[in-house]
Amino acid sequence: MDIKAPMDAETSIVDDLAPPPSESLSPSAPGIAQRINMAKIAPTREERLFLVLSIFIGVISGLMVVCFRVCIEWIKIGSLGSAPHAGQYRLLYVPAIAGLIVGALVQWVFPQARGSGVNQTKAALYIYNGYISFKTMIGKFITAAIAIGGGHSLGPEDPSLQIGAGVASIISRHLNLSRERLRLFAPIGAAAGLAAAFNAPISAILFVIEEVIGKWSAAVLGSIVLAAISSVVVMRQFWGSEPMFRIPSVNLRDPRELTAYAVLGVFGGVASLIFSKALGYLRPRLRMLRPQTHFLQPAIAGLLVGLIGFYGFPQVMGPGYEVIDQAAHGQFTWQFLLILAGLKILATTLSFSSGTPGGMFAPTLFIGAMLGAAIGTFEKHYFPLLTGGIGSYALVGMGVLFAGFIRAPLTSVFMVLEMSGNYSIILPVILANTIAYLLSRILTPVPIFEVFTHQDGLDLPSMEEQREESPRHIEDALHPVDIPILEGTHTLDEAMRRIATATPGERTDCLLVRFANGAWYVLTAQELTELLASRRPDLPLRDALPTERAPLLFPDLSLDSALPHFARWPVLPIRNRAVKGMLEGIVSSEDVLNTYRQK
Amino acid sequence: MPLLKLQSALTPEERTKKRKIVIRDSIALFTLLLITIALFTATVFLFRSFTNLRARLSKRWLDRGEAALRSGRPEMAVEDLRSALAYSPGQRSIEIELAEALAGAGRIQEATSYFNTLVEAEPGSGIINLQLARLAVRQGNQAEALDRYRLSIYGNWEGDGSVRRRDVRLELIDYLIRIHHEQQARGELIIAAGNAPDNPSVKMPIAALMEKAGDPADAAVIYKAVLQHGAPNLTALEGAARSSFALGNFAQARDYLNKALNHPGVAAESAQARQDLHDLLEESVQILLLYPSPALSSRAQAERTLHDRALVFQRLQECHVPLPGEPAGQALDPALADVLGKWLQIPLWDKLTVPMLQKDGDLRRSVIELVYETDRAADKTCGKATGENALLSKIANNPGAVEAP
Repeated sequence: MDIKAPMDAETSIVDDLAPPPSESLSPSAPGIAQRINMAKIAPTREERLFLVLSIFIGVISGLMVVCFRVCIEWIKIGSLGSAPHAGQYRLLYVPAIAGLIVGALVQWVFPQARGSGVNQTKAALYIYNGYISFKTMIGKFITAAIAIGGGHSLGPEDPSLQIGAGVASIISRHLNLSRERLRLFAPIGAAAGLAAAFNAPISAILFVIEEVIGKWSAAVLGSIVLAAISSVVVMRQFWGSEPMFRIPSVNLRDPRELTAYAVLGVFGGVASLIFSKALGYLRPRLRMLRPQTHFLQPAIAGLLVGLIGFYGFPQVMGPGYEVIDQAAHGQFTWQFLLILAGLKILATTLSFSSGTPGGMFAPTLFIGAMLGAAIGTFEKHYFPLLTGGIGSYALVGMGVLFAGFIRAPLTSVFMVLEMSGNYSIILPVILANTIAYLLSRILTPVPIFEVFTHQDGLDLPSMEEQREESPRHIEDALHPVDIPILEGTHTLDEAMRRIATATPGERTDCLLVRFANGAWYVLTAQELTELLASRRPDLPLRDALPTERAPLLFPDLSLDSALPHFARWPVLPIRNRAVKGMLEGIVSSEDVLNTYRQK
Repeated sequence: MPLLKLQSALTPEERTKKRKIVIRDSIALFTLLLITIALFTATVFLFRSFTNLRARLSKRWLDRGEAALRSGRPEMAVEDLRSALAYSPGQRSIEIELAEALAGAGRIQEATSYFNTLVEAEPGSGIINLQLARLAVRQGNQAEALDRYRLSIYGNWEGDGSVRRRDVRLELIDYLIRIHHEQQARGELIIAAGNAPDNPSVKMPIAALMEKAGDPADAAVIYKAVLQHGAPNLTALEGAARSSFALGNFAQARDYLNKALNHPGVAAESAQARQDLHDLLEESVQILLLYPSPALSSRAQAERTLHDRALVFQRLQECHVPLPGEPAGQALDPALADVLGKWLQIPLWDKLTVPMLQKDGDLRRSVIELVYETDRAADKTCGKATGENALLSKIANNPGAVEAP
């Protein structure tokens, strides 16, 4: 079910994300000549600035996220009241009014603020050299705060990620850095924003690597860590060092309990499927409606979410952190928890599909926590001797949905460990998350963020595919040596005779020359003929050949690493890492191409 | 050295440019620092204001929740306390109150689940284990209730732990009595009485529970001790009367009942309570009227002995047991047959008169002891005695206690 938005919508999104023409080249992207000049007069400047700016980005992102969270809470208290209860009429109209305001702002003032923020950050990284405008960042801050505070079923984490990336982009643009560096700042800011929002630096770093960058990159890892830690330090200065969720004691009481966690994994996989399908179905259909209706969609979604709250389930409104806390502390019956999980899927689908700015992380964690707590409560009620704490199940449930829905398996495991601060839960976490992840992959081959990307008309790299790409190695293209081998002490004449007396199956267009120091040279028949024409036939090869030697390549190296050498060498000798001078085989350009063709 | 080399390689124009870059970067970083400081200051003010607001809201909802709990509206208290907890996450006292409210609202499953989660975080908490014990009692889970009560007694308590532990133990004893585990209850009562300070307000409830647990002797000791110290205490008088009556000391029971009924405080008691006292006094007096007390004259003793003998023989006849010397139509209970045989050993047992018994004190004692023995033996064959025979049975059970000091 991959419906794309109409072309006008696509164009508008792409246009929204793009930097203005004035900012697209200069000053953010200095010219080549200027960069060469900079490399000469201040060669270490960028590297040093990069690290210092990472800390500033972390601190400012942390402060921005603190303000963002406070604003959300204030708006919530001011509009929905300090303790929203079912049956209060304000639950009906406040989310609708918030939706109306947000819809108008997104339609006419901050069109870039639409969506969660993850894909927008990825777009900034892959398409616009890390560019996120100040207007986008402020727009995301304001609209997401109004929407989430007004009761829409969305969370602040993804917007925090984009706010962090925006902070990074703004700061870096004013320091006249190279385009490569500018591009790297977006994930650094994203990690800082997310780390502050989660109060969990490791999870944020892993998420950015897993979902935004897609690979481990030494160039950026240090800065990401610095920024994430700086932002978490700031966050903890204000909110304290307590984890985001107060999870009661976590334990695995009985190995048989793993069965329940496996069941939780299955439930999580199915819930992820329902959630993904619901979003994949409704979002493009709402976006296909006439553009004039777009600003009304958040209001209608708000009204529907408000109805859910009004008729007995105000817990589904907003991010629902306190409800997660209550569920983890066993305050609800398992039936009620299942209802909350179902209604949260519905409410979030409505809010998000309507284009209301806000994140998917908090609702995902909410649904997971409800499912987990439901299974934990059920087990506690019917098998009291078998089960550990309900909090353990809620915690694992959060990870399960994160693995199944967001499809960030590594982050999901570390997030749970970081949130609980207890590594004894690792076994159930890995089991349940793996089941949910695999189930989700089987049932929904395309991850949700990729679905959104396609719906928005963008073509960003698939992180899941990138993660799972199996890189080709030289050993895949390797074949046994079928070329005559000579020592460096042999003469040119002997070399020519060796070619002439080649056994059947041996190549005669070249031969391999081994030197005493273990180096190799690939001598072509043509080169040998030319040498014989200009040098004495009894001259040893070591003296006749140039000093250049064949590149040092090993079977475990990436196949790509062999490619540049074929311009010079017809075949490449592949060496053994343990025994100097010993060959594992040889590789030709044809072997490499055949290997790529096969896979 | 490479730096010097590099510097020397730069042209004067490049050096100027480098200086400009350094100055520009320094200004940029300094500006960034100023922006960070400004933003930090603004955030501090914003957050402080926000924290104060949360504290106010937490207090407001806590007050409302506690008021709702006090006024017996636990359902409303649940919502209020949840709101309070949202603004003060992790505050243990609110969590416990919320769990109590859930239990009070009849949401037993939620309350149990919540308390279980709380106790996992604090397994030694006295108050949480007590609440779990109460929930287990409501759910009829005896084993869980007993475990939780004991964990509560030996758990941690804030404030006056010894008082709270004693209260919990008394609650446990009450529960044990309700589920008819009197033996265990008496064991707990011995511990409770041993640990209790010498204070009537503490001792009296223990004595009351001792009575309920079928230990009137220890209860009487406590009541009498209370009455020996300080002004007469109506509750103690009533308790002492009941205990004495239960122990078969009807003379003391009568005395205590007379004092209780003359106590000014009795007027404040319910009519039913007063009537019960009157009934007990009447019963005690009636029993004493059957008892051939050694304090009475020989004649009076002889008259009562003969009256009691007549009562017990009447009881035997009513349940078709042949009197001594009469042929037995069916096999008698061995104990009863034995006692009927003993009657035949008394000379002229069926022709005894008041003068005969008045003159012969030994004969009188033998007869009355045989009366009591016959009464006790008749219980097995004739079932529960009624009327005057029921009163006689009370004496027969422990004749030595009737007028014990």
